[in-house]
Amino acid sequence: MEEQIDLVGKAFIDHYYHLLDNDRPALSSLYRPSSMLTFEGQKILGVEDITAKLTSLPFDQCQHVISTIDSQPSTFAGGIVVFVSGSLQLPGEEHHLRFSQMFHLVPVLEGNFFVQNDMFLLNYG
Amino acid sequence: MDPDAVAKAFVDHYYSTFDANRAGLGNLYQEGSMLTFEGQKIQGSQSIVAKLTSLPFQQCKHNITTVDCQPSGAGGMLVFVSGTLQLAGEQHALKFSQMFHLMPTPQGSFYVLNDIFRLNYT
Repeated sequence: MEEQIDLVGKAFIDHYYHLLDNDRPALSSLYRPSSMLTFEGQKILGVEDITAKLTSLPFDQCQHVISTIDSQPSTFAGGIVVFVSGSLQLPGEEHHLRFSQMFHLVPVLEGNFFVQNDMFLLNYG
Repeated sequence: MDPDAVAKAFVDHYYSTFDANRAGLGNLYQEGSMLTFEGQKIQGSQSIVAKLTSLPFQQCKHNITTVDCQPSGAGGMLVFVSGTLQLAGEQHALKFSQMFHLMPTPQGSFYVLNDIFRLNYT
């Protein structure tokens, strides 16, 4: 069961950051009206505002490189918590930014997940 | 009660217990609790406390930089912490991030259902 959780977590993470790096508006498919994002301390509620925040970040391109993914079942009817660390490369910037992010994923009927909770933090050195 | 205040109170209690008396963390976990500590998975209050009390240092001090929280549904709370960990005798503090998923107890407090800890290497 634990291995399955890790596979699901990794698959979600790969998909999430692929969209974030290549097609940010498509992230709206991963959030719902009840979703919450805390982005560097700023709280945002609901798929529309979250998508607006993510698509308005002050860079056109970015590349996330994931270092660690830890997943655990959250007990809420198949929910999963995922904890990610990695680095974020912005074009023209010499140094990568390191970040941590946690997701609480809730299953939907088609066997996919949506992001109920999302918290993002840059890790300053 | 304000969720941010609840989260901060929990974080203060957790790390002050950790720094003063790691064995005392036992009553914050239950049988179904899960800890992933630097990638190692541990389940259940007894095993979790055994892991935390066997960490290879006598004294440590956590300094918390940020605490973010959100309700996870059905009364649960997610708490995302970043900070530094100073080990006695070590010149440089270690940076860490940790997430907790807290669930309410019938007595009106919280226990840790999910706990994931990672050091942040630069």
